[in-house]
Amino acid sequence: MIALVGAIIVGLVAFVQLKNDWGAQGLDASVTKVLLGLMAVGCVLVLFASINVLGYRG
Amino acid sequence: MHTEHTEHEEIHADHGHIHPAPQGFIRKYVFSLDHKVIGFQYFFTGLFIMLIAGSFAELIRIQLTSPAGAIMSHTQYNEMFTMHGTAMVWMVLIPLVTGAIGNFVMPLQIGARDVAFPWLNMISFWIFPIAALTLFSSMLFGGPHAGWTEYPPVSLEDGTAGALWCLAIFIIGISSTMTGMNFMVTIQKMRAPGMTWTRMPLFCWATFATALMNMFATVALSVATGCLFLEHVFNVPWYDPTRGGSPVLFEHMFWFYSHPAVYIFIIPAFGVVSEILPVFSRKPVFGYKMIAFSSMAISLLAFTVWAHHMFPSGLAPWLQLPFMLLTYAIGVPTGIKIFSWIATLWGGRIYLTTPMLYAVGFLITFTFGGLTGVYLACVPFDLHEHGTYFVVGHFHYVVAGGAVMGFLGSIPFWYPKATGRLMNETLGKIGFWLFFIGLNGTFGPMHWLGLEGMPRRYASYEVFAKAFPDAVFWNRFESAFSFLMVASIALLIFNLLWSLKNGVVAGLNPWGARTLEWTISSPPPYYNFKNIPHVFDGPYDYSKPLPYENLDNEQPEFPEFGRVVMPIPLQTAGAGAH
Amino acid sequence: MASTTAGHLSGHAAVRARYNDVDPVYREVRELRLFGFVLFLLSDCILFGSLIFAYIYLRLSAPVWPPYLAGHQLQWFDTSFAAFNSVVLFGSGVTMHFALENWKHLHREKFFGWLIATIALGLAFLGGQAHEWAGVLRDGITWSNTTMGSSFYCLTGLHGLHVFIGTVFLAILGLQAKYGVYTGSKYQGLVAGTLYWHFVDVIWVFLFTLFYLW
Repeated sequence: MIALVGAIIVGLVAFVQLKNDWGAQGLDASVTKVLLGLMAVGCVLVLFASINVLGYRG
Repeated sequence: MHTEHTEHEEIHADHGHIHPAPQGFIRKYVFSLDHKVIGFQYFFTGLFIMLIAGSFAELIRIQLTSPAGAIMSHTQYNEMFTMHGTAMVWMVLIPLVTGAIGNFVMPLQIGARDVAFPWLNMISFWIFPIAALTLFSSMLFGGPHAGWTEYPPVSLEDGTAGALWCLAIFIIGISSTMTGMNFMVTIQKMRAPGMTWTRMPLFCWATFATALMNMFATVALSVATGCLFLEHVFNVPWYDPTRGGSPVLFEHMFWFYSHPAVYIFIIPAFGVVSEILPVFSRKPVFGYKMIAFSSMAISLLAFTVWAHHMFPSGLAPWLQLPFMLLTYAIGVPTGIKIFSWIATLWGGRIYLTTPMLYAVGFLITFTFGGLTGVYLACVPFDLHEHGTYFVVGHFHYVVAGGAVMGFLGSIPFWYPKATGRLMNETLGKIGFWLFFIGLNGTFGPMHWLGLEGMPRRYASYEVFAKAFPDAVFWNRFESAFSFLMVASIALLIFNLLWSLKNGVVAGLNPWGARTLEWTISSPPPYYNFKNIPHVFDGPYDYSKPLPYENLDNEQPEFPEFGRVVMPIPLQTAGAGAH
Repeated sequence: MASTTAGHLSGHAAVRARYNDVDPVYREVRELRLFGFVLFLLSDCILFGSLIFAYIYLRLSAPVWPPYLAGHQLQWFDTSFAAFNSVVLFGSGVTMHFALENWKHLHREKFFGWLIATIALGLAFLGGQAHEWAGVLRDGITWSNTTMGSSFYCLTGLHGLHVFIGTVFLAILGLQAKYGVYTGSKYQGLVAGTLYWHFVDVIWVFLFTLFYLW
């Protein structure tokens, strides 16, 4: 349901932003890239959770 | 006009302006942002608490002069050793070695005007008396009883006192973490131009390694004591096995911090010794890179060996083994340092001034302590000796004979820089011998008492004394010698105060040392350096000219190699007489 | 500062030129503060890491999970609402990223729009957490009767506290931006806020996985 749609949208946006910022230099840019990447992974996990592949009681 | 400036020039132009001088008593001495004043504040507070915790230790020693316990009930005794340990670890040692010497010396040695975040530094200091008050207020509620490690479930019987203990430790943890972060940023970003990592003084390497541990390990302690606090006050089960918790969990989290903590005590002392030995041997430090990198190696390895404090806690053997091996491994970088220091002394022109005596004494007592540590690293040995006086002897040798010895050596070494006067050399030497003999007399016999099986944290030892009658003699021996250490500290305090008015006036560089702090006036102005010096070599080669440019004092007194005039016992017209 | 001379550059180069083109004293202060803030975030990682270690330790050493309470075995946590709440939080991370991008490109109004969206989503997440807690309490799990409860409430509570502090932080940043504290080239506080917010997001990824997907 909503979580599924939201996860897909947010995940895609995060991934696109990550791709755009890939070449940026500097400490803050590096940290941002790492964190955005992990967040995208989180979206994937939520996606699986929302289609009952992972998690309990749907 | 190009927008990309020559970055190098711009960044290092002047490291910022000199801010106006602080005005008024409160701004200058109470809520000061100056790292030197904050260093003094840590020093006096730490020393004061050392007197309190030390007197608890003397009460312990008096109690143990009789096998049935001479002066206290068992409960009171438990409170004494708990408070002695807690106060010494968190309210004396860590503030003194990181907050006092680290704060005062490190920015001067890297050529900075202050630390990276002076305001944070001030807050870090003021948290310290608050934490100390919280800790000592717990004694009004009966005091914590379970030892400085306060393992649950025994510590949960302490009631309010236990909750206050947790709170005090949590609070001081915040101070430690912030100081660690502050120092890491300072050393990383605020070194003088040209001061690469391998041209940095070894005390600063030590401070960096310590700050790393301080910053990352203390948080685990906050979690351990935070959860203990919740269990005390709100009955939240983390360590209660009947509701799914585990006391061993507390041990894991507590020792994950407390093992790096012991390295936090000792690595600044290593740094101090690395500074003192070359100066009074008139030789470069042997193996500068080995000493620097071994500090970092110890700092990182320190996070991997915590469970060697938990061998008898029912850890699975397959888990005990890697910790045992890593503990052996961590002795290696330390050993490298000891050998490097001995090589520094070798062939040097030795001046046995008070700081040098403490540094050489450190080499002796810390090595003893380190060797007994190697014994304890062995699991079968530890299973027998854990909880006996062997362990007490071991850690007092490394802590009192290592960290405290290094700290006591740093005082006469940097006192001239801090106050402009030298400390009285005779009193200093007497103080050293009192401390050295007292230390060995107090903690030496603990090793064989422990091997014979005398348990620690026992208010009376009648059963043990029946099996081993000499125990009574040795305990009294230890107690007698412990008073020598008291006398030494008393003499130190007298010396500190006396020398303020009556000490020989020191110039910029009474010891003929080559690190940056000796190129500015004693005491330094609040802004440290009017011109930030440029560095182009390391500070330990006494045969070369001074490796700095753009100094405030174009001709700082730097005696040439071989023509050093040590200011003791004779010193004419300050140290400028060559 | 000489940001006018960056006019001949375009796109990312222009952004970078404006970003770098500040007076040297501030540039240094900015480097110090950024490095210090990242170190602080690393120590915060250890904070959560230790508690997560405690949770994993207790869970692995328990004979059965979920544990028994008063005779019957507790239920697993329900994933569906938490998944939705997670999306809310991740969405707020994305909106914060857009807010910062807009500030860098000097689109102030859009910045404020995205910032308010971020704060709103953050508060919505907290509301969702409150709802989740109410549900878990209804199932009979309190923070003092079982370690399943103590670990859940303490960890999600600590995270929620961080989210709350984060929303306050972002609100303060917004006010500061409104009153002109930050310029097109000096906006270190906003970077710090964004990093903090992303950090809080990522911690939630771990917590969600550990409590709801394991």
